[in-house]
Amino acid sequence: MIKWLSLTILIFCFACTNDDIFKNEKAGFTNIYKNILLRSLSIEEKKIPSSKTVYNKKWLSKYSQPIIALSSPNHTDRATLVALGNQNDKLTWVSADGLSVSFDNGILIATRGYSQDLMESHSEGINSIFNQITKAHHKTYRYLNGQNEYREMKFSCTMAYKEGIAFSLLDLTLNTTKFTESCKSGPSQHTNIYYVLPNTNIVLKSQQWISETNGYIDIYNYYAFQGNI
Amino acid sequence: MHNTYGMPGNIDTPTAEVFPEGQFSVSSSVFGGTIRTTLSFQITNGITLSFRYSRIPSALGDYDGYFWDRSFDFHYLLNRQTKYFPSVAIGLRDFIGTGLYTGEYLVATKNITKDVKLSGGLGWGRLSGKNNQPNIFGIGNERVSRSIGFGGTIHTDHFFSGTNSPFFALSYSLSPRFEIIAEMSSDDYDMEVSSSKGIKRRNDLNFAVKYLVAPDFSLMGKLMHGETFGLSGVLTLNPRNSPYKSGIETAPMPLLDDRIILQDQQSMDPDIFSRSEDLLELDGINLLTLRIVKKDTLEVEIEDRNYLDVAQMVGRATRILSKTVPVQVQVFKLKLIDFQSSFKVTEVVIMRNAIRENELAFDGPEKLWSAVTFKNPSPTISKDQGFVGKKTIWSIYPDIDIMLFDPHFPINGSIGWEAKLSHRLRNSMTINSSIKQPIITGLDNIKRGPKEGLPNVRSDYMYYYRDIGTKPYLANLTIDQYFKPFKTIYSQLNLGYLEMMYAGVRSETVWKDTNKPYGLGLDLAIVKKRNTYGDFSLIDSNYTTIIGSFYYDLSSDWNFKLDAGKYLAGDYGGTLSLFRTFNNGWEIGAYATITDVEFSTYGEGSFEKGITLKAPLSWFTGKKSKAYRQTIIKPISGDGGARLYLENDKFLYERIKIYGKKSFKDNWKRFYR
Repeated sequence: MIKWLSLTILIFCFACTNDDIFKNEKAGFTNIYKNILLRSLSIEEKKIPSSKTVYNKKWLSKYSQPIIALSSPNHTDRATLVALGNQNDKLTWVSADGLSVSFDNGILIATRGYSQDLMESHSEGINSIFNQITKAHHKTYRYLNGQNEYREMKFSCTMAYKEGIAFSLLDLTLNTTKFTESCKSGPSQHTNIYYVLPNTNIVLKSQQWISETNGYIDIYNYYAFQGNI
Repeated sequence: MHNTYGMPGNIDTPTAEVFPEGQFSVSSSVFGGTIRTTLSFQITNGITLSFRYSRIPSALGDYDGYFWDRSFDFHYLLNRQTKYFPSVAIGLRDFIGTGLYTGEYLVATKNITKDVKLSGGLGWGRLSGKNNQPNIFGIGNERVSRSIGFGGTIHTDHFFSGTNSPFFALSYSLSPRFEIIAEMSSDDYDMEVSSSKGIKRRNDLNFAVKYLVAPDFSLMGKLMHGETFGLSGVLTLNPRNSPYKSGIETAPMPLLDDRIILQDQQSMDPDIFSRSEDLLELDGINLLTLRIVKKDTLEVEIEDRNYLDVAQMVGRATRILSKTVPVQVQVFKLKLIDFQSSFKVTEVVIMRNAIRENELAFDGPEKLWSAVTFKNPSPTISKDQGFVGKKTIWSIYPDIDIMLFDPHFPINGSIGWEAKLSHRLRNSMTINSSIKQPIITGLDNIKRGPKEGLPNVRSDYMYYYRDIGTKPYLANLTIDQYFKPFKTIYSQLNLGYLEMMYAGVRSETVWKDTNKPYGLGLDLAIVKKRNTYGDFSLIDSNYTTIIGSFYYDLSSDWNFKLDAGKYLAGDYGGTLSLFRTFNNGWEIGAYATITDVEFSTYGEGSFEKGITLKAPLSWFTGKKSKAYRQTIIKPISGDGGARLYLENDKFLYERIKIYGKKSFKDNWKRFYR
């Protein structure tokens, strides 16, 4: 009996194949059984890798492509993204570890690589959102559910602003207008914050909501300071 | 919300509630010598079905003082509660088969406050053991007796007949995790109290505490009928709620405008095939051929081994090709190649500009859909497939074989190893083999013998397990040749040792138009029985099967399959299979085979039937994968309606249909993921 048990253990240890896809599939199923047994079916959230870089104009001058940075709201994780897509002024930025975020007029309109991606969105008056701030506006966010169908969230939002806010980015301190967008959809609500250069639509920094699972990200627009690119 | 029967209920009694649509639950309940293990499924918003395997103590128990019994329940929510009216449900308990738990009920449930819930109902059959009242429908107080025959069949005469008894329950939620319940149950546990191993019934009352350990796992401790303590555990899973939402694969390549494409292409490998192949490989897609015709049309053949969701795969492939091919190319024609057979299964034609214009548009995938067409590709096998990747693939992995529902060993099985070797002789021809060895096994000591009345084509399986014991054996060894003689005809020939019990030749031909949600199939086999030792020798007994199939993938989340023809034992009949499907690859189904064999000749169970469950790996990991696990839960096999046991990848329709237009449409919203 001991002989057979030992052999079984040996086989488990040496379970192998020359085919990577088959190996990944086997490992995937083994992990499922392990998770069920250990009751630890937890989501592996994609972490933005942290960085200890000093972000100043010297650092920015190293880049020959447009860049932005993302960070978690608690500033523990940060990543630099380069612009790879440009469709009718909608810009898509990509990180080295496979995240992408798309913006229209500084407003987040889509993400990819997060567990609950913002697949698509529509905001009323997105092009004049920082100019006509008296009206309430609506926006729709769409996510994929487990059936590959859209789960739609329709938000009613209001925008408030405060002028003359000093804001530091790189080694500069700038005068900005701070816009606060408060949105509600049933029990779900979020508040996006934008620091905008006065009399422009240039968002220097923002904190924007992605989804219930992924929460907020902070976005730093270094591209605004890469005048020579 | 699960009772000890794994159905919507309190402790032992039902409630007029339902689970979330699509939810699977596995529950197990232990008390007073009784064990109930139930798989339940919320098949629609109102209908709950369950399959249960129970150990029931009884003085008449035929296995060591117990019955081991399978049972099916049906529960239907007639209406949901409103401000003033309760929800009402009707249910049939153990309505197929031997009927040890048979009972029917009408139940109403109402939340008195947010945390207090009151249920009350009337029960018939087993649920009218105590406190009986005259039948409210006036159809007599004698329960109509059932002729159970050999089990496995539905009889309706006894439904709601005989006396009925009231039952009540009150529950209070102390917190979102804690619930306390008290109920008055009318079940007299007649069989169980007859045995010293069973429950002691002192009164009509049950009390319980339920605790939600995690969102998908709950426990219930209970005191049953005054003296017996018990414990239940429930594990739930809803295919609609993927733990990884839209998945955790890396972001796809963004689409670029022409100016940037031209800039980028200057720094790329000048060979378009090579630069496309490298980038596609990063996304797990194999590029087999690439050519540009008439300057504006790109024709590629790509092979898919990774994506269950082919819409996402085509989305990623076209994004990459948009970056690598000249900007003058405006039409993309992608021929999709099945890895195993090298069949060209579908040609997707898509306009390059439309992909870009709709990438970040609201309703982008819907708008793009109008710019896509699907065609049946040419009647050839891809010539280039075999040159990608390895021609020989081998693996050695642990192997577990589980066998359920033998009353002597309700859960039996073996653990050992399996070595697989696959070698591609030509693009359309492969040798596949599998050797297994059970190391620890309980299958070599199965007590029951073959059934009588029909040629033993399946019910003598125990001789194979007995003679193989713990020795290595050839599970299968086949030469598989694939043909595609016409645009919509796919065919294969399997020659060799097809499964543990049979060797011979089998051919399958499928008609499938990529634009149609249905297909036809013809499966022919001429086989000999293999020696029970799993070696190369054969027994001189010939069998044939001739089975035609009709497949239909309904626009709702249901598929059905109808098979008809001659089965292994020479019997003629048909199999109806019905599947509830989810776009993410989950599938639960049931099948039943009725042939010209009398139920009495078939023996226990009356006819061949089972439940199938298919779970995709990608749902659990959030990463791309075509892999899935399929489980068939079925009673001990008989000889009537028997077919060959072939591996899943030996069935063409399932492999081809995921490349059909319907599959693309169902999952099109993932195109840009």
